[in-house]
Amino acid sequence: MKTTAEVIIVGGGVVGNAAAYYLAKKGVDVLVLEADDSIGHGGSSRNGGGVRQSGRDVRELPYAIYGIKNLWPTLSEELGVDVEYHQGGNLRLGLEESHLDILRGQVERATSLGLDVKMVDAKEVQEICPYLSDRIVGASWCPTDGHANPMKTTLAFYKRARELGVTFISGEKVVELKKQKGKIRKVMTENGNTYEGETVILAAGYESRKIAQTVGIDIPMTPFFEACLVTEMQPPMFDIMLGVATAEIYGHQCDHGSFVFGSGTGLEATLEPKLDDLRISALDVSANCRAIMKYVPMLKDAKIVRSWGGWMDITHDHVPVISKVSEVPGLILACGMSGHGFGTGPAVGLMLSQMVLDEPLICDSTPLRYDRFKSDR
Amino acid sequence: MKRYDLVIVGAGPAGLSAAIEAAKNGLNVVVYDENSKPGGQLFKQIHKFFGSKEHKAKIRGFKIGEELLEEADKLGVEVVLNAIVLGLHPEKELTIKVEEEVIHVKGDTVIIATGAAENMVTFRGWTLPGVIGAGAAQTMMNLNKVRPGDKVLMLGTGNVGLVVSYQLLQAGCEVVALVDAAPRVGGYGVHAAKVARTGVPFYLSHTIIEAEGKDHVTGVVIGEVDANWNIIPGSEKHFDVDTICMAVGLSPMSQLLKSAGCKIVEDPKKGGVVPEIDELGQTSIPGVYAAGDVSGIEEASSAMIEGRIAGAAASEYLGYITKEELEEKIKVNESALDALRQGMFAPKNRGKLLEKTEEGVDISMNLLKKGYLLEEEVEKYPGVTKQKGVHPVIECTQNIPCNPCQDSCPKGCIMVGKNITSLPVVDTEKQCIGCGMCVASCSGQSIFLVDEEFEEGYASITMPYEFLPLPKVGDKGVALDRSGAKVCEAEVVDVRKAPVFDHTNLLTIKVPVEMSMKARFFKN
Amino acid sequence: MVKVNDRMRDIGEFIPAKDDDILICRCEEITKGEIRRAVHDGIFTMEEMRRYLRNGMGLCQGQTCGKLVKNIMAKELKISPLELEPETSRAPMRPIEMEIYAKDGGNV
Repeated sequence: MKTTAEVIIVGGGVVGNAAAYYLAKKGVDVLVLEADDSIGHGGSSRNGGGVRQSGRDVRELPYAIYGIKNLWPTLSEELGVDVEYHQGGNLRLGLEESHLDILRGQVERATSLGLDVKMVDAKEVQEICPYLSDRIVGASWCPTDGHANPMKTTLAFYKRARELGVTFISGEKVVELKKQKGKIRKVMTENGNTYEGETVILAAGYESRKIAQTVGIDIPMTPFFEACLVTEMQPPMFDIMLGVATAEIYGHQCDHGSFVFGSGTGLEATLEPKLDDLRISALDVSANCRAIMKYVPMLKDAKIVRSWGGWMDITHDHVPVISKVSEVPGLILACGMSGHGFGTGPAVGLMLSQMVLDEPLICDSTPLRYDRFKSDR
Repeated sequence: MKRYDLVIVGAGPAGLSAAIEAAKNGLNVVVYDENSKPGGQLFKQIHKFFGSKEHKAKIRGFKIGEELLEEADKLGVEVVLNAIVLGLHPEKELTIKVEEEVIHVKGDTVIIATGAAENMVTFRGWTLPGVIGAGAAQTMMNLNKVRPGDKVLMLGTGNVGLVVSYQLLQAGCEVVALVDAAPRVGGYGVHAAKVARTGVPFYLSHTIIEAEGKDHVTGVVIGEVDANWNIIPGSEKHFDVDTICMAVGLSPMSQLLKSAGCKIVEDPKKGGVVPEIDELGQTSIPGVYAAGDVSGIEEASSAMIEGRIAGAAASEYLGYITKEELEEKIKVNESALDALRQGMFAPKNRGKLLEKTEEGVDISMNLLKKGYLLEEEVEKYPGVTKQKGVHPVIECTQNIPCNPCQDSCPKGCIMVGKNITSLPVVDTEKQCIGCGMCVASCSGQSIFLVDEEFEEGYASITMPYEFLPLPKVGDKGVALDRSGAKVCEAEVVDVRKAPVFDHTNLLTIKVPVEMSMKARFFKN
Repeated sequence: MVKVNDRMRDIGEFIPAKDDDILICRCEEITKGEIRRAVHDGIFTMEEMRRYLRNGMGLCQGQTCGKLVKNIMAKELKISPLELEPETSRAPMRPIEMEIYAKDGGNV
């Protein structure tokens, strides 16, 4: 089994796999270690599939926009797997005036960065999507947002990277990193195996925190659980991504016909952070159903066939850490995705490959540095 | 939120037995079942069960179901039907669809007794309407009184395949063949024999190549397989059928336990993915138990005992009985369970080819390959004797845990002994009075009364008969041998029905005396 | 049980077979050939297969096809089916209408 490579990527999620793909495309020798039995076991396969710019922080917007303009449209063709990308736009719905205030604030910040997003009234909402509740008083509308299939996208990057010669080893949980002569070098696993590389990309979700701590770096983040559900197949209705001002739910209709919605009960913050516990609470599905029906009442007869949940890695400021580490040359962090990792996955992967090769980046990554967290007291 | 001492999922033999045991010990118990009728598979089981008295042997499955329900009801067990358990969540909380809403219920203990689902095998055309599971066929016939088809081919010779084939015959279907890819019949020889003697051919080492038909099954092609499971070219055989029944094993329905985070293991001997349980049936989550097929595929008789053990364990867990009381209950139940897990079909013998019985008699290879005993083999077994006058001929040739025949004989002619898997022995010192109790009591329908001195040149043969219409005295027809081949003319000389026979009627036919050890079935 | 699994190991070429068009997952209409081909795309676990092809993700949630898929994958990977981790199960155990699921006494 191969144990050395130019670049070792810790984490076989969408970010790790995308980075592996873009690096392999440029001829770099890459090895990916995944802790679980399955590639894409974490949040990459468990999210609601949004590929969005609206609602993102100004620090994320540049690469979110880049991905949607330059990567997503040709991704299926490039990877040889239909990732079911649809750029049908994103409606973020409000049921009352206070919701519209939240949305107006988001629209204002995004338009200042050049994003095509605007407020629409109740009538326009119905014109864009006639399947929604007539209780909706308004929404923000971003026509260039969309959605894709997270499970297939993550595995498509894996498949193509593997074809290009990237070594993937699953079932290898990384527990420690080690420097050698002042630079990152060794990656050690729970099974007692050691891998060596010149560069290490740490893209292991919340688990990245413990691993980075072994080389003296801490990223202030918390794990946060969210649940999703999927319905049985429905006739094709709409192509847009749905969100709501209160962030209760988000979702879309898949190519397959089923609807996928993500949400929570509102009690998630009180959960014990046990990352290997993926059970959803007894309240989740019902709460999700109620929230969905508030906005899309005509789905009331759709049957729920499955629910699931996953852990997100939320940084203190809800913005990812995508950064080289000055104290540990050769280590690159790509974690704390804060629930935005899927839609921005391809762009982040590309950016990581550029960091490895010291190429110009698709955008300035300074605001995404790991050492930005300071006390303000 | 509703709270119970014990929440049970599944009102089949395991779940109901667990409920009865726990309610007896003072627990307040609720049982949820997704079906509109309780009893699980028991209400489809119209055949008599094996075992001994403690296992409710010689009682028909649906009767056992009725008895369990009645007992549960008397003890105040709440049985909620049409209740779909959606999830088993942390803190033993269940979400359940009842009527048009979802309720939340917590149990201080939980027993999962969700049973099993049927396996499928694939071949060209397996998704055509008309390809059904044997369980579905049973549901149609025995619960909904609908005949699954007119001409049926059965795939699978385990007990389910054999028993359901017999029920199909009872329902008036023509069973064109019993097919199994294995080289030997998987179920009890007595079940095979009662099907074979009606004339159904057995094709072992054969499998289905194709189901024919455009929008429903119109035919089937089978072929012989070699040692590597490949079809031997030229061995193809075609049958016109409208139904293909699959009885190719069961898989535990352990999804609820999996989703709850119980440790699971995959064990082919148990039928697939099962929860890891201790001797009390407790899973890796304290206070959550599994009983019956969900923890490993066995017979309903074993499921009832596992249910009682889990019910007792939950009682002790909550302090309703003492540890000593639990140990006593386990001792009784485990010895009953142990008795069922003996003999040639014991879990430990699965997949093994046994060549001799416990008594040292050769096991009939013809029975294993064709489904019936050869005449020359029959005489080797201790239940088959030559006597003057009427006497029982017990064609029970495999060590299976069953002994009702012994208790049924008022004259003590039949001996099984302490070990209930022993072959029954006919005591020639004792005088048979021809009452027929043994014939009706044998769940395997393997006992006949033979009288070679019935009339000059003629013998009488009394056989168990569970078909309708019941022939009448004086009816003339043909006698079939064990393979279902016509051997001679025969005349019905007696038909006996009695409540004590529990619907196993005794049909006595007259055949030429040289046919006394050949003729085993009658056709008008 | 998590096991080290080198995805670069040689499992041979994909060889088309006559019965590749047979349906395996009836709910999602996935054929044997699609499953076999996916293994050669690097799909080595039941969990990955379900995500890649949707097999076992329909109305019956893999009750019928689970074992079938596992055996096909194991044969293609040249391993024992027991080496493949069983797929996970999630609520609901049966498909339930959203409107009914919503009525659980929670705050509306």
